[in-house]
Amino acid sequence: MRSFWSLLASVVGLATLLVQAKSSSGDSVLVLLDPSLKRDDFSIFFSGLEEKGYDLTFRSPKDEEPVVIKDDYPQFSHVIIFAPETKSFPKDITPQSLVDLLSKDTNLLLALSPKQTPLTSLASEFSLITPPPGTPLVSHFPERDTPATVIPVNVSHTSPILTPGLPPVWFSGVPFALGTNPLLVPILNAPPESFATDSLGDSDADVVIEASEKGGEGLWAGSQLGLVAGFQPAGGARATWVGGVELFSDEFATKEVSSGVKSGNEQFAADIASWTFQESLVLRVDSIDHHRLNETAPREHYTTNDQIVFTTHISRYNPKTSAWEPYSGIQDLQLEFTMLDPHIRTALPPVPGKPGAYSVTFRAPDRHGVFKFVVDHKRRGWTHLHSSTVIPLVPPRHDEYPRFLSAAWPYYTGAISTSIGFIIFSALWLGGSESKKGKGSKVE
Amino acid sequence: MAGPKTTASSVSSSSSANALQTLWKAYNDTTSPRLKLVDTFLVFLMLSGVVQFVYCILVTNFPFNAFLAGFGSCVGQFVLTASLRTQVNPTNRSEFKDVSPERAFAEFALGSIVLHFFVYNFLG
Repeated sequence: MRSFWSLLASVVGLATLLVQAKSSSGDSVLVLLDPSLKRDDFSIFFSGLEEKGYDLTFRSPKDEEPVVIKDDYPQFSHVIIFAPETKSFPKDITPQSLVDLLSKDTNLLLALSPKQTPLTSLASEFSLITPPPGTPLVSHFPERDTPATVIPVNVSHTSPILTPGLPPVWFSGVPFALGTNPLLVPILNAPPESFATDSLGDSDADVVIEASEKGGEGLWAGSQLGLVAGFQPAGGARATWVGGVELFSDEFATKEVSSGVKSGNEQFAADIASWTFQESLVLRVDSIDHHRLNETAPREHYTTNDQIVFTTHISRYNPKTSAWEPYSGIQDLQLEFTMLDPHIRTALPPVPGKPGAYSVTFRAPDRHGVFKFVVDHKRRGWTHLHSSTVIPLVPPRHDEYPRFLSAAWPYYTGAISTSIGFIIFSALWLGGSESKKGKGSKVE
Repeated sequence: MAGPKTTASSVSSSSSANALQTLWKAYNDTTSPRLKLVDTFLVFLMLSGVVQFVYCILVTNFPFNAFLAGFGSCVGQFVLTASLRTQVNPTNRSEFKDVSPERAFAEFALGSIVLHFFVYNFLG
């Protein structure tokens, strides 16, 4: 009986391990799906998420339940909003509540469309500048049998978010200009020959050219326009904006970009979902440790000019095993020793042979005060690492200064020679006292 | 002291070099070896003090306590030794009737030991 229970427990444990989601922040997903979009049209994307272990809850934008935030607590780990044409959202989904979700570590995946919706105005809060309503992205190149608004887009091979070597992906929707916000992570940019316009026919080309020459809004064109962009606020949650919801559709996933080559949509959608849901490129600082050189225990304070060893351990989330693994791959980590300004900013290189450990030995500045060890690593796409530890730096105690200095040797010699002179003088004086009596009397 | 000086000044009218020679000769002749010993020590202390002072001015006074100790030991020892010389000089016997040379040396030695005690405490 006992063995049966232990077997059952291990089976249950294994089962929970198997259904455990791959995300580092939770497995519940709320999908806000517009009634005009059929769930079956996105079956590849959604079933891909479910296979990974996500627990999808579907809700129409007209429904009141389930709410995203209840009693000030987010009810889901991730929210997908595929409601690009919804003009009025229920009262629990407002731009404020979505931003609130982000600050409470809930990830967002949002789709836009050429129509003007509340989401369009929210996008501008994320430094995404949308073109005027009703201007989808258009490209007449390369020559193909699809409408001009359905465009194959080459995938950047430098982004760490995406699987390398992806074939082009189909896109249909609205582009946006990327602001200068450093928290923005461009994922997919528009093709260079594409542009955004409200007139699809070639006969209206003159109107487009004229409008662009007049200035004002100018021409929305070129590879500087973004189609998919991530945004990672300070809290670590992630938001991804996609210009068109069709990117995730089964139709685009199975559509060939050229004869015999399937489009990259399926993998691309899975990649951006895994980035958005904090599966990939997720780092954390496990621990920090500091001590004086040739010691092991940390001190409550250090003395100016001490040799200090600072070590940090960094882990990366592995979605395949749902575990945090030591990660030594950061080559440009830096340590700052800060009192208002960084008095020392030095490289924090990985320790060879110790996975996940980064260590540096440095001399504390000749300046006392309350300092901080600051590790601040912000790279586009990666989780922002920030660690700050306060440590006071005190001047030496009165008995910790060097006692005998080489510069003072003349003074030491002077004092010692005076003493030796005194001893010799006394010896001569006392030794010569007998003879002195005779001599002294002679002189007198 | 008074005797040699008057002799030297009377003879030195011919030339200054001659005067110095005469002074040196008179000093050698009329000073007891014991006072010469004292004078040697005084000269040594003076040179040592000068060297330390020059070093302090030209190079560094950084461990200032060390300078004060070293220089002060020279000055203090010089003062004590000069006092000893005054007290044991036979010419001054009339002024120090109560002070025998032995007592003068004992006071000198005691004073010096106290001085050196302070100097070494101040040095490091």
